[in-house]
Amino acid sequence: MKVQQTLARLRRELAIALAIAAKDVQVYYLAPPMIMFGLLLPFFMFFSFSVRRGLAPAESVARLLAITTFFTASSAGPVILPMERRTRTFERMLVAPVALISVLAGEAAVGMVFGAGVSILTLLLATIFLGVRSVSPVALIAAVLLASAAFSALGLLFASWPTSSATPVGSIMMPATLVRWPLMFVSGVFVPLEQMSQPLRAISYLSPLTYAQDLFDHLVMGRGLQPAALNWAALVAFLVIFIAATIWFHRVQRQRGY
Amino acid sequence: MAIAAIEAEELTRVYGSLRAVDGVSFTVEPGEIFGFLGPNGAGKTTTVRMLTTILTPTDGTARIFGHDIRRDSYGARLQFGVVPEESNVYLELSAWQNLLFSARLYRIPSHDARLRAERLLQLFGLWGRHQEKVQVFSRGMRRKVAIAMSLIHEPRLLFLDEPTSGLDVQSTRAIHELIRHLNQQGTTVFLTTHRMEEAQSLCTRIAIINRGRLATVDTPTKLRRTLQQLQAVEVQIDGLTKAEEEALQALPTVVRALRRGSALRLYTPEPVETIRELLRYADENGKKIAALETLQPSLEEVFLYLTEGIEGVTVGEQAVPQAAKLGSERGGKR
Ligand SMILES: Nc1ncnc2c1ncn2[C@@H]1O[C@H](COP(=O)(O)OP(=O)(O)O)[C@@H](O)[C@H]1O
Ligand SMILES: [Mg+2]
Repeated sequence: MKVQQTLARLRRELAIALAIAAKDVQVYYLAPPMIMFGLLLPFFMFFSFSVRRGLAPAESVARLLAITTFFTASSAGPVILPMERRTRTFERMLVAPVALISVLAGEAAVGMVFGAGVSILTLLLATIFLGVRSVSPVALIAAVLLASAAFSALGLLFASWPTSSATPVGSIMMPATLVRWPLMFVSGVFVPLEQMSQPLRAISYLSPLTYAQDLFDHLVMGRGLQPAALNWAALVAFLVIFIAATIWFHRVQRQRGY
Repeated sequence: MAIAAIEAEELTRVYGSLRAVDGVSFTVEPGEIFGFLGPNGAGKTTTVRMLTTILTPTDGTARIFGHDIRRDSYGARLQFGVVPEESNVYLELSAWQNLLFSARLYRIPSHDARLRAERLLQLFGLWGRHQEKVQVFSRGMRRKVAIAMSLIHEPRLLFLDEPTSGLDVQSTRAIHELIRHLNQQGTTVFLTTHRMEEAQSLCTRIAIINRGRLATVDTPTKLRRTLQQLQAVEVQIDGLTKAEEEALQALPTVVRALRRGSALRLYTPEPVETIRELLRYADENGKKIAALETLQPSLEEVFLYLTEGIEGVTVGEQAVPQAAKLGSERGGKR
């Protein structure tokens, strides 16, 4: 009886989270900041920092995947949440009979869908035109999904910093971008880890992107610096931490007033 | 007795040093259209946000059809629909898509959702344009979509925060009709407004709130009587002596007088009669009336009158910034 109730509740929460995610995709996939930060910027960064060094195609693809999962996925939250709060549509979800975590999971799923979508498309193009073959395609897709989920949660975390409801997209996106740029420089995306100085390398292990980059190296090229299992575990851990912190921010926000 | 639709107990919300809502208690019975009337910044929206579980109260609590908003927010949320001050609809989606999304938030089976959405859109006069993006809709139409979205799960209680603010006369009338219709169908309505006429014409009972505090909860009829006490005639007569001023104050229908700049304000329950008396006085004493107008009380004055009696109104008028504010808020020249 108790179990059945819990299951029914879980089903309900999941269904509502999915409804929220589906709505977000429907509403925001063409939003100008979404295209700007989620689609154009990652490719701009790739072409200006990675490609000119004349890397092997496989290595380029691994880097591009790191950039697209990271930047595209983490751009969704800072676009969607301020817009939803400004138009007060976010309150529709807050007053729905559903837990806050499910609302946030729904919102995070969007970043994941965008991040993974752009990345998998990139991968397909690379396979067709560059002849890049991944060493384990299924694991690679799984890694893209996991990394997108973690980075989407990071974006949501940025977007959930408690503020007044009038905060425009720009004032969430600016600091979010200011944090994300240095993260990319210390994470082996532009400069490989083995070429970094010791202190910088120590810092790099604090960045979730480091683990994503290394995991993509493993799965595309078949080699990485640290064990693949460590990368998987680290990404899961970051996902959990980001979601927990996001929920905490929203608790604070609800105390202060949305 | 039936279980109350809303039972608020000492609801309080503090922002820094501001007590935005300060120990507010009231009960709304099922079937009522309950008006929450107050000027801007009175604490109406804050109260609605607490009652609808968006905002945690600093102190106190409320029950929605018996469900405590703090301990059983999930149960409470199933009982009500809420329309905030701004129409919170997705402009990029059509009215139809907006309603279906709303239905999914309440896990209404797809078949039912479509039936209800169609019925609501027809009731709201939006059927036929339901496939268009809400972006192209007027303010009034958007407000209707927002209300329809909040009704999709057929709640017993509907919160409307300033449902007609910013709308033209026609849309306002249409929304009023809708509110009455919904109420006749059995929906309890809690609405906030800063317009006395709106509360008077729609509500079965009216609570008056100002600066976070509730002044009174009463029927529109009783409040109308209060308003009558606070009507005034403002007259300007050049070269009035102190003695002549006192004579005007002593006119039979005048309750109380107040000097405002070069004008004299005479409070009276019967303004027409007072004007007649004034004209007669001017005639008999060879005085020239430079200006004359009747004034309806502002909400703030009504509030002060209710909390502090007629003296309270005088106190409020003497403070300079307050007086300026009241002057600008005075609405009706009749
Ligand atoms: N998030 C907030 N932070 C600080 N003060 C607030 C906040 N929300 C509302 N207030 C203040 O609380 C008071 C009541 O506001 P509100 O409930 O919106 O009034 P109303 O809806 O009656 O116009 C106002 O003085 C307003 O400035
Ligand atoms: Mg308000």
